Amino acid sequence: MKLRRGALRAALALLLLLPPAGAVEPISLGLAIAGAAASALTGFISYPRLYCYFRECCLHRHDQRAAAALQETLDKRLFGQHLVSKVVVKAVRGFLNNTNAKKPLALSLHGWTGTGKNFVSKIVAESIYKKGLQSKYVHQFVSTLHFPHAHSINLYKDQLQSWIRGNVSICPRSLFIFDEMDKMHAGLIDSIKPFLDYYELLDGVSYRQAIFIFLSNAGAEKITEVALDFWRKGRTREDIQLTDIQNALSVSVFNNKNSGFWHSTLIDKNLIDYFIPFLPLEYKHVKMCVRVEVESRGYAVDEDILTRIADEMTYFPREERIYSDKGCKTVDAKLDYYYDF
Amino acid sequence: MKLLNAALIFILVPTLTPALALEPLSVGLAIGVASALTGYLSHPRFYCSYVECCPRDGQRLNATALKAQLDSRLFGQHLAKDVVLKAVLGFSNNPSPKKPLMLSLHGWAGTGKNFLSQILAEHVHPAGLRSKFVHLFLATLHFPHHDQVKLYKEQLQNWIRGNVSACPSSVFIFDEMDKMHPGVIDAIKPFLDYYEEVDGVSYRKAIFIFLSNAGGDLINKAALDFWTSGKRREDIQLKDLEPLLSVGVFNNKNSGLWHSSIIDRNLIDYFVPFLPLEHRHVKMCVRAEMAARGYTVDEDIVQAVADEMTYFPKEQKIYSDKGCKTVQAKLDIHEDLVMGDTRARG
Repeated sequence: MKLRRGALRAALALLLLLPPAGAVEPISLGLAIAGAAASALTGFISYPRLYCYFRECCLHRHDQRAAAALQETLDKRLFGQHLVSKVVVKAVRGFLNNTNAKKPLALSLHGWTGTGKNFVSKIVAESIYKKGLQSKYVHQFVSTLHFPHAHSINLYKDQLQSWIRGNVSICPRSLFIFDEMDKMHAGLIDSIKPFLDYYELLDGVSYRQAIFIFLSNAGAEKITEVALDFWRKGRTREDIQLTDIQNALSVSVFNNKNSGFWHSTLIDKNLIDYFIPFLPLEYKHVKMCVRVEVESRGYAVDEDILTRIADEMTYFPREERIYSDKGCKTVDAKLDYYYDF
Repeated sequence: MKLLNAALIFILVPTLTPALALEPLSVGLAIGVASALTGYLSHPRFYCSYVECCPRDGQRLNATALKAQLDSRLFGQHLAKDVVLKAVLGFSNNPSPKKPLMLSLHGWAGTGKNFLSQILAEHVHPAGLRSKFVHLFLATLHFPHHDQVKLYKEQLQNWIRGNVSACPSSVFIFDEMDKMHPGVIDAIKPFLDYYEEVDGVSYRKAIFIFLSNAGGDLINKAALDFWTSGKRREDIQLKDLEPLLSVGVFNNKNSGLWHSSIIDRNLIDYFVPFLPLEHRHVKMCVRAEMAARGYTVDEDIVQAVADEMTYFPKEQKIYSDKGCKTVQAKLDIHEDLVMGDTRARG
């Protein structure tokens, strides 16, 4: 379009100048030709394949390597969550490959604090979008920050709907991350339910290629219960299957008054594609976290210090003391204390 | 920008044809040919192949095509198929209907209400939901705040009036009726009645479809009763369900039609019930989805995916909780097996 317009203007300008002249004025003709060349160049540079090397563009055909990159990163950097890496990769790969998705992808990540929910959403964003969380097509909402006051809920509803509608019409392959769902007002999530549903078009905008990720601590106790159960029976952590947790989760999250989903139609209508549980982290996983942090800072790995730091973390339940209270959080701070250079 | 281009052209034309006089014959001929060409191009048969037109009165629905589509794509809803087919065909074949067609679709989630309304819309207007003559309203999206009901009423009336005057055979789909404020629907009652014309606009060829989950539990109960008494699903008749529905929806405070004058005046032409889907219907959905994605249909995977769904009631476990929803997502999880299979078979 731009190319045609620029060329048209250049042609008109040339026609205007050429016929009546018995001689050609070099300067103006030179300027005219330069103008025409500039238009042509702009048109050429605006052409998507060139343009997208310099600025960020909306993906129309997804990157084939996204799923592979996702799998690799999760394997290397996420510890102790065998369920997560399996489900998330399959879900994202299946969704990106499906050209005829019937509804946007909705993932609900539940688990104890510090187990890696935000981390996983960051990795997902980075594997799909070049700039990761900094991309202009990735939107992160923290309920305590963006929707703080219960009395302004109507305003938040309107704003949220307009924001989602506007951004998905610009780029159908947008990613929306909602953090602290357990602190979100119950009615607010209902306002985006229409976008998650099986509609082809809503007011001329199709939401079928968007991805929604919901992070929450709700259901964490249930998950821990299941995990403890397995541990007490002497079975390995890797034996825990998704089905063991999934059904228990969806009911407990639905009935939990503190969950942002309480009595929300999201579960009623089964608009969440996958409930993904995050298991609490054990001692060995905390050590892995510390090791990775040490390596990333470039220090030499000292097993002694690793053990000391891991020992310093608090563990629950009180008798067995298996799972870390804070997951992998506060590990960096302790590192600073022990490595004094 | 366009103005600039036009101005440039106007400057050019006199400079390119420095004629002091115009040749009447050739100019007249040129203008005549141009007009004829424009007239020819604007003729509906030509024009409508490029731009979407409102279907004229003479156009009838293709009955066999509609029946074939419903049979192949909608599973487990013998009642709904029957009723809708008869209703829509009867309405479209009637050269002068007395009132707009009003269908009220009720049923459990995931049983195919939106799907059916989509198929219907596609047969009336080929572009389906994307057509500019098909309008979809969601209660939670378009009419969210209960304190603005007056505004919504006015806007809705204007919208309907404007669109029906542009195209008499418009289709209006109202989803989530159970979440709609009762007053909003009362606003369109005058358009649905047996009037010949309202303010110069005739609504008699329009189609209104209402979708709702209200009455879903009643339908489920009736279907379960049939099952426990050993009768076949296909034996359920509309007359077994219609009275149940109409009263259940009317008295259900959550239904958008609660104490609405629409039922009072019997303006709803057909109550269409959607029965909950059984295990075998879920398998049909899975097969259809696999075929649509181009995979070879593997019965093991179909069985596995169908088994993963949750069923109710708790003891008998016959009907799927979510209908056919989330089947796609579950298929993605089993995708590795599917992809491996497809590759193995070449």
